[in-house]
Amino acid sequence: MKTQVLAIGLLATTVLTTPAKADKLDDIIGSGTLRCAVVLDFPPMGSRDENNNPIGFDVDYCNDLAKALGVTAEIVETPFPERIPALMSGRVDVGVASTSDTLERAKTVGMTIPYFAFEMAVTANDKSGVKSFEDMKGKTVGATAGTFEAIALEKQVKEWGVGEFRPYQTQADVFLALSQGQIDATVSTSTVAQSNVKSGKFSGISVVGKAPFDIDYVALFTNREEYGLINYLNLFINQQVRTGRYAELYEKWVGGELPSLSVNGVYR
Amino acid sequence: MFSYTFQWKQALKALPQMLDGALVTLQIALLSMAIGLVIAIILTLFRMSGNRILSGFATAWVEIARNTPALFQIYMAHFGLGSFGIHLSPFTSLLVGIVFNNAGYLAENFRGALKAIPDTQTRAGRSLGMSSLQAFRLIVMPQMLRIAFLPVTNQMVWAILMTSLGVTVGMNTDLTGVTQDLNARSFRTFEFFAIAAVIYYVIAKAVTLAARAFASRMFRY
Repeated sequence: MKTQVLAIGLLATTVLTTPAKADKLDDIIGSGTLRCAVVLDFPPMGSRDENNNPIGFDVDYCNDLAKALGVTAEIVETPFPERIPALMSGRVDVGVASTSDTLERAKTVGMTIPYFAFEMAVTANDKSGVKSFEDMKGKTVGATAGTFEAIALEKQVKEWGVGEFRPYQTQADVFLALSQGQIDATVSTSTVAQSNVKSGKFSGISVVGKAPFDIDYVALFTNREEYGLINYLNLFINQQVRTGRYAELYEKWVGGELPSLSVNGVYR
Repeated sequence: MFSYTFQWKQALKALPQMLDGALVTLQIALLSMAIGLVIAIILTLFRMSGNRILSGFATAWVEIARNTPALFQIYMAHFGLGSFGIHLSPFTSLLVGIVFNNAGYLAENFRGALKAIPDTQTRAGRSLGMSSLQAFRLIVMPQMLRIAFLPVTNQMVWAILMTSLGVTVGMNTDLTGVTQDLNARSFRTFEFFAIAAVIYYVIAKAVTLAARAFASRMFRY
């Protein structure tokens, strides 16, 4: 009798305490909230309006995703270096944070198909005499720490063997340093470059040309093992393009020629 | 819920790079302490001088250094001076920021130590025929150094930890800079930061233990 009670008790505890086999997609639908990591220091992808509300391409993208899932969106501000800790500690569900889909990073997090593509532009201090990407050789250059362009530029400076590379923590600091003349030039996404030059916050700088880096495809990301969610996100990105919403958002926040999200000659 | 698989093998491959960064960190900390100590002694003398301008200057320095965040001080050394056209490299900005902070705290340590030595000792020395400088050098100074020694080592540990703020001014060769860089490449945040934390701990602990050993030899009664 005693053993029976014990066995039933044990069984009951196992059933009650074993977590339901729900994956992240279920969790999001169940909780009614989609928490997105968005970088709000990266206009026009993410920034804040005069009332301190988050705005930008990535913010709209997260809202669209939440709408598709039938939940409410919660924008969690994460600077570039904090995107992954935010995901791993469970503060966010998905990163909509202009994250370059490098193979090195894909060993740690799960990347979707590209949802946006950046071209790289060189912005220079007018007094530096930098007129093109090649002119940056031997100069002091900088970029936002942890970004695709920072990694590429640092590598380039090492290859040149002269000059200095400085990573700053935020995009705003890079342009502040550039405008003060602490650095001579920076490489950033062309959208960021245009947006910062036009903003009038930083004087004495101009976009001087393109940087010959590969096109920077950026993906949404979530935990590597959440295939169900990644699968959903891939379809969502596909639908955004198919329904013309991608073009609409691009026109709203960036404008100009719509970048293609597919690579010619290969799947995915 | 924390869902993360640690990959130590991959992270530990970067250990030599991180140790190089630790050397830079130690270098900045030592340099900032050496310069900070000299400035702190000068500030202490200024405050004792009785000259209003000199002591006012020293007091202002100590007040600002002790009552504003180190992050702010380092940021000002880079972007603050930068807006006046004075451009310091990340290394120099970081060094200047920490030296400023160190000097302020150390001057305060020295003042506290001086206060702990009774005036009567100086008077006794003077009455034995010492000049005021001799009394200070032979009686006050040795005791002051003994009292201030442990607070000074505290500041050394603090200086080591403060170097991690260099990333805000574009520093990428010190331990935190290297760690951030590795993290951005691979997103292996937790491994790299854990390794960095251990290295910081070891350095700080080593400094404390060395200082204690040194003190027990030097300051024996």
